[in-house]
Amino acid sequence: MSRAKGYLPAWLYLACVVLVTGLGIAGAMALRPAFANSVKEFFGLQAAPVAAPSSFYLTRVAPLFEAHCASCHGERRQKAALRLDSVAFALRGGRHGAVIQPGDVKNSELMHRITLPPSDDRAMPPEGKTPLSPDDVTVIRLWIAGGASPAMLATAIKGAPRLVREVAIPTLDAEAARRQRQVLAPDVERLSRRYPGLLTYESRNSAGLELNAALSGHAFGDEDLKAFTPLFSRLVRLDLSNTAVTDASARLLAAMPSLRSVRLTNSKAGDDVIAALASLKSLKSLTVTGSKISQQALSQLRSHGVVIYGDGDAR
Amino acid sequence: MAMSDMHSPFVERCKLEADNRRQFLSWGMGGLGAFFLNAAMAAPAPKPGASALQIKRDPSTPLTPLPPPFAPKARRVIYLHMGGSPSQLDLFDYKPELIKYNGRDCPDALLKGKRFAFITGIPKLMGTLFPFHQTGKSGAWMSDRLPHLEKHIDDLCIIKSMRTDQFNHAPAQLLMQTGDARVGHASLGSWVSYGLGTQNQNLPGFIVMISSTSTVANAGKPLWGSGFLPSVYQGVQCRAAGEPVLYLDNPKGVSRAQRRQVLDAVDEINRDTYRQFGNPETVARIAQYEMAYRMQMEASDAMDISREPKQVLARYGAEPGKTSFANNCLVARRLAERGVRFIQLYHWGWDSHGTPVDQGVNVGLADNCRATDQATAALLADLKSSGLLEDTLVVWGGEFGRTPMQENRGGQEMKYIGRDHHPQAFSIWLAGGGIKGGMSHGATDDLGYEVVRDPVEVRDLHASMLYLLGFDYRSFSYPYQGLDQKLTGVKPARIVSDILA
Amino acid sequence: MPDNAPKPGVYVWDAPTRLFHWSIVVLIFVSWLSADQGYMKVHLWSGLTLLVLLLFRIGWGFAGATTARFSNFLHSPGRVMAYVKTVLGGERQLHAGHNPAGGLMVAVLLLALLAQALTGLVANDGLKFSGPLALQVSVDQSDQLTQIHGAIFNFMLVLIWLHLVAIGFYLLVKGENLVGPMVTGKKHHAHVPEGVALVFTRPVIALALLALSAACAAWILL
Repeated sequence: MSRAKGYLPAWLYLACVVLVTGLGIAGAMALRPAFANSVKEFFGLQAAPVAAPSSFYLTRVAPLFEAHCASCHGERRQKAALRLDSVAFALRGGRHGAVIQPGDVKNSELMHRITLPPSDDRAMPPEGKTPLSPDDVTVIRLWIAGGASPAMLATAIKGAPRLVREVAIPTLDAEAARRQRQVLAPDVERLSRRYPGLLTYESRNSAGLELNAALSGHAFGDEDLKAFTPLFSRLVRLDLSNTAVTDASARLLAAMPSLRSVRLTNSKAGDDVIAALASLKSLKSLTVTGSKISQQALSQLRSHGVVIYGDGDAR
Repeated sequence: MAMSDMHSPFVERCKLEADNRRQFLSWGMGGLGAFFLNAAMAAPAPKPGASALQIKRDPSTPLTPLPPPFAPKARRVIYLHMGGSPSQLDLFDYKPELIKYNGRDCPDALLKGKRFAFITGIPKLMGTLFPFHQTGKSGAWMSDRLPHLEKHIDDLCIIKSMRTDQFNHAPAQLLMQTGDARVGHASLGSWVSYGLGTQNQNLPGFIVMISSTSTVANAGKPLWGSGFLPSVYQGVQCRAAGEPVLYLDNPKGVSRAQRRQVLDAVDEINRDTYRQFGNPETVARIAQYEMAYRMQMEASDAMDISREPKQVLARYGAEPGKTSFANNCLVARRLAERGVRFIQLYHWGWDSHGTPVDQGVNVGLADNCRATDQATAALLADLKSSGLLEDTLVVWGGEFGRTPMQENRGGQEMKYIGRDHHPQAFSIWLAGGGIKGGMSHGATDDLGYEVVRDPVEVRDLHASMLYLLGFDYRSFSYPYQGLDQKLTGVKPARIVSDILA
Repeated sequence: MPDNAPKPGVYVWDAPTRLFHWSIVVLIFVSWLSADQGYMKVHLWSGLTLLVLLLFRIGWGFAGATTARFSNFLHSPGRVMAYVKTVLGGERQLHAGHNPAGGLMVAVLLLALLAQALTGLVANDGLKFSGPLALQVSVDQSDQLTQIHGAIFNFMLVLIWLHLVAIGFYLLVKGENLVGPMVTGKKHHAHVPEGVALVFTRPVIALALLALSAACAAWILL
């Protein structure tokens, strides 16, 4: 083993390495602004901008980015190293630099891409994804023209198209519904077999039940309603139109806490049933067309906010 | 399918000798055997995509009620299709500017690049022929042509920004009713029957009635056809006078019990066929025979409006025994009360081109309004008072709009006043079933030519209707020809949130 | 390069190994540049070539020249640590091929490159381009592996930096040129231990191995 013989002492070499590496990083930062921002944020030299709660960005622009862009430019995927799932990321830009030039719509690559004709390969969102409507593009244009600020209030930007409420379609969670239904499922099964076609679930997402006794007509009476007692807690809709159910079942109706809608068209029910319904908290609507109900009974229900159809005059 | 068409006695005998089938086939009867086998290969049950809604039913009871994926606002639909397309500019879309331009040449900008059904050259702009006024709590504008409907204006949601891309009747009607301008797609009612079944198993789930003076709907039966859905979901066209469905009653001398015996025998043979070949259409056929049998009892009763008290008949303007829109409206109400899922009424005659006098805007339109206004209003009133409107979605409209210009067929000035087809903007209204009443949605420009605010495409309307019925239009599909076919088609649709209550 | 001794250099690096090394350098650079500028077809081909060469190198690591064999330069972690301590202490150890630390570097680099090539096969850029085997996995998996492909790239940048720093250290601090030998194949005799027996496999075997690697790659892809 001989002594190492070189040109530089180790410490000098290390210093050179640090210097060269530093220069390299500086160069990369100059060439790639996105990288520059990451580095600055890493060292705490620059705080990532955060959108203010009532800002135009948060109320109008962010939902658009979320719905139309974030699936490819967000947490899961960052195409072209660009993220649009927060104002910090959006302003930072991607692999080829900033896509938003605050105040300058013409030179903002993002604006350019979302206004390309759909046939263009580089148009955003790309084919197959939900496109931005002209109103959406206007909103983004207004934001960039107004300075692409994370803080500017929604009220400060004039001429924005009306905010259209997007409908959130409930997702189907069959498993959760199945678990909820499990308890009463045997009774539902049994009664469905005994009274075919009268009992259905309100929706696949729920364990609420609907009983449409009107389909049986006069054949359905107080005893039949009694048979459904195990399911009363889950009944949300009850149709006793044209049935033979009378005031004798008033007690039964009082035991249906989830009931939201009751139909008593041309039924034999009377004031006692109405009184029983008055105790139900979730009742929203009641139909009494063709049944003999007194106005006092109905007015009591009306005072609870229940919508009543029909006037309770049996014909 | 080819099986039943083969009348060779040899083949018939083979069919009956079920036990010898294997033998027969193993003889390798050349082309015949191969053909046999080919025809026998039932299409395997289509496999829907991963995100598609799974609809599982016992195929022998295809119309049992099924709950929708999420809680619905509407549980049945009554669709009043005004065939030919009513002039929105003379009924709902008030354009005072257009009145100022009355008689002037139509500006070039509105004509350039556009294709019209009949207008040629430079037509003249034409304002509304009828006085408009504001009405109801919402101050909605309406012309004086629909005084009865006006009473219910606070229950209506008028969409003034409907748009379509079809400028002729048949494709436009197909687009409105099936989601595609070409024949072969399932109609709205079929989709609803498929997804929800129907409550009353003794009546069809999808019933169609037509009241027309001259022509039936241009696109014909495909408008209520099942397309690629199993045929049991097609609309059943019923008549409001006489037998609801032709040949529903038993022939003379055949009692109901005998009919039952015949059906049982046919049933058994069909079930055997199904066991052998597994074609779901066989089961659909069985279900339809059974449905017809049950209908014998209930349909006649449901369709019989003479059972209604005189004052009800008077309110509708209905006359038992005649074919009229009023009769159909009353039947529609009775069917809704009896648990029919989708009721569709077609009334032709709104195509106010101005070619014959009874199709002019000044005459024909007025006649049509008179023929339909009272009954529509009576239907709404009855639905409301019986609490059914709450969960019944009522839709009224045509398949496109009418031009703000007067029609000049062949470039000539016409004898009668008319408007041509106008796909760029038209108005429809909806009521009930989760719709916000007393409002109008969207707007057209000052001349009523283009939609300038909140455009609603046909697929958006369908998406919204499906949402109210408890379905996600994106996952409600049926696999056919390698695609998960949807009512809303392949282009992205939007639920019109503003019209939802 | 000061070469004091009149003795000739010792031939330590065989041609296939050297060709491999510099090809990798070029290919890594090409892959980097093409991905950065969006020339994805070029990226695909340079990536595939890299894969073939890597497969070759792995085979060569068992069947090639002594200095190229894994058994020659892969050592236990303890040995590597001991070597590093020695070097930092200013001492010198002579090795014909890679020293233990270098050997570790080689192993890590090769593994990283292999992982990069393999993840690249199933990666996608969200628009029109995806790796040749991207359809064999689910969209989610492809996305995840694309992310990993990106992460490994950053890791490789660090490795390459380390590699260059180490080479520079040897050159400038220790006076031992490692670049020259990787080009010419000959190390200065003073840097090679005495009496080391080096076996050099016939070039035709290298060619055969290369062909085999290409065939393997083709089989994976088709």
